[in-house]
Amino acid sequence: MSSKLASKLSALACGAAMVAVVPFAAHAADKVITSWDLQTTAGAVKVIRDAADRFEAANPGYKVEDTHILNDAYKTKIKIAFGANEPPCVFASWGGGPFREYVAANQVVDLTPYLDKDPAFKERFAPASFGAVTVDGKIYGLPAENTAIAVVFYNKEMFEKLNLTPPKTWDELLQVIDVLKKNDIAPFALANKNKWTGSMYYGYLVDRIGGPEAFAKAAQRKDGGSFADPVFVEAGKRLQELVNLGAFQKGYNGLDYDVGGSRRLLYTGKAAMELMGTWEASTIGNENPEFAKKLGFFPFPSVPGGKGDPSDLLGTLGDNFVSVTNACPEKDKAVDFIKFLTDDTAAAGRVADSRLPPIKNLKVDNPFLQEVSKLVSEAKSVQLWWDQELPPKLGELHKDTSQELFGLSKTPEQVADEFEAAAKAELK
Amino acid sequence: MTDISTRSAAGGAGGAALSLRKLAPAVFLAPAVLLLAVYLLYPLVDSFRLSLLDWNGLGENARYVGLDNWKKLATDTLFWKAAWNNILLAVFSVVIQMPIAVVLAVVLDNAGKGSRILKILYFLPLLMSSVALGVLFKYFYDVNFGPLNALLDYVGLGAFAQDWLGDTRFALGAVIAVVCWQYIPFYMVLFMAGLASFPAEISEAAKLDGASETTIFWKMKLPHLKGTFRTAVVLSVIGALRYFDLIYVMTGGGPEGASELMATYMYRNVFSSFQLGYGSTVASAMFIIVILIASVLLRFSKRFETEV
Repeated sequence: MSSKLASKLSALACGAAMVAVVPFAAHAADKVITSWDLQTTAGAVKVIRDAADRFEAANPGYKVEDTHILNDAYKTKIKIAFGANEPPCVFASWGGGPFREYVAANQVVDLTPYLDKDPAFKERFAPASFGAVTVDGKIYGLPAENTAIAVVFYNKEMFEKLNLTPPKTWDELLQVIDVLKKNDIAPFALANKNKWTGSMYYGYLVDRIGGPEAFAKAAQRKDGGSFADPVFVEAGKRLQELVNLGAFQKGYNGLDYDVGGSRRLLYTGKAAMELMGTWEASTIGNENPEFAKKLGFFPFPSVPGGKGDPSDLLGTLGDNFVSVTNACPEKDKAVDFIKFLTDDTAAAGRVADSRLPPIKNLKVDNPFLQEVSKLVSEAKSVQLWWDQELPPKLGELHKDTSQELFGLSKTPEQVADEFEAAAKAELK
Repeated sequence: MTDISTRSAAGGAGGAALSLRKLAPAVFLAPAVLLLAVYLLYPLVDSFRLSLLDWNGLGENARYVGLDNWKKLATDTLFWKAAWNNILLAVFSVVIQMPIAVVLAVVLDNAGKGSRILKILYFLPLLMSSVALGVLFKYFYDVNFGPLNALLDYVGLGAFAQDWLGDTRFALGAVIAVVCWQYIPFYMVLFMAGLASFPAEISEAAKLDGASETTIFWKMKLPHLKGTFRTAVVLSVIGALRYFDLIYVMTGGGPEGASELMATYMYRNVFSSFQLGYGSTVASAMFIIVILIASVLLRFSKRFETEV
């Protein structure tokens, strides 16, 4: 019995091995441009496939193979592909620290010469949007998908009922928290298993207290910038003040954002607000259209005596950037393709899908996007998410330490010192 | 193919046939050895080589740093905490899984008709994918909406309702409970197989001599399972030491590293922090620790080895 099974199994294994040995049959005539991204909603994929179709029509003999992979799996897959020297021709990223690792490893095509040849194309993008993909003055990616900034979403109906108005300052925020607590409602919903969710609070507090320079100087190790600066300590103190006030619902450090841990609290009225990227609006629109009608948002409040301008934002202009790899055999054509991916037709498609690519004078009817667009255009600074801006090792450490701040297991001073020590070692 | 050629050669010249016959095992073993070498041996050795590098896993910028990574590992409190968590997982796996699995096996062994359905039911957890189980139990443990806390509340034990996955004190325990729940059926089947080989005539004879069911269980059946116990404990400990999936899905090693295991720590180093070199050091250390513990375990449990 078992030997029969074993022989069947080994036959199966042999078969599998054979399949693995035979190379995948390629389309004989067409040259293939492989393209990976992490867009998995039907609307987003359609825009990309449509750009690919237009590219194929304009470039006979070329085919685009577009692959769409879910967020976390994508991060792992792209890393392995680069490590194995078999990356796709075109790939999406968030720019920032991890992206700079690929650039430093000479894996990414410098797009500056291509953009210089086509200034009209380049000028369409909001200038600040290239920040996350610019290394040593050279541009390595095109901002493609969206403008995502962190704002405080809140339940308008609940605020009205309790006679609350969106807080503009720290003290107003504390009052709102007080009223909500008295009504047995958790002020903020937070799903901090993922850690980047809680990181936003810390990032905003640092900005409001010390201005955008505080982080920029410390991260770039210039003008005496340091993560042990009192700004970072005070930010940690304010954060823990919120925690001690009970501003976050029970179990915040264990809930998983990816399975809706925080949104469920909003939907059921157990929590009133959530600091989250603007993609949340379309997520809620898809998940719970009824609740979406009650959804409002306001920018993160100011902190008394703080240097930061309350118009400063934390987020990304571009959300996803598309780049071409040096391993690609058809670089010029691949660059052509990413221009299709970010051209006006593609941008219009994204706007229709409730997203806001960072393109100047974009025609937007959606009132939510109009508001986001207004915030961005008035912002004095848009700081990329810390965990994306920092080199990967520090990004991870930042996420770990901010979770520890939330868990009250480390003091703000400990976190600041620990982080500064790591930054000193990593950023020379 | 090979079989036919050896046979036809055997019909031909005698000497050639002999060497061919000697060759046959090698030919049959070659595919397996090749696969093992490529997918097991090479990565194993190579990860030791990588552990000597400071490398992000991309491009040509690897830097040889000798034993620096190993020195760092020796003082890395996070790693040792993870290793300790692995040991906790191993100990609790054995202590929880074995007794329950034996009891279930004995009960099912003695049960008559109808136990088939129970056998299938008890076996189900093992058939489910760990990721699906992880997501399921994430909902089960949810502090605000989870059925577990609701149940505790309902029976008046609301005071015991906890933030199961978000509290550093409970996260590891909460996942260990699910790991045990998932793997008990496996050991149950193992023990059932052991019990099935217990000769019925011996227990009949014992009964004739006036032995009670309890005596038969404690004095005869349990000793009979010695060898199975050894296998089960070794499997369970090794499994626990290199455990990854439910932790990754349910807590990601958190909160604040409270449920970090060696394998999740390695994963975070390689794929989130881009430290392939240090991640390989963690992996290699993990290999050494597993080998050490497993061989000690095998050595000290030798006397329980069955004769078969």
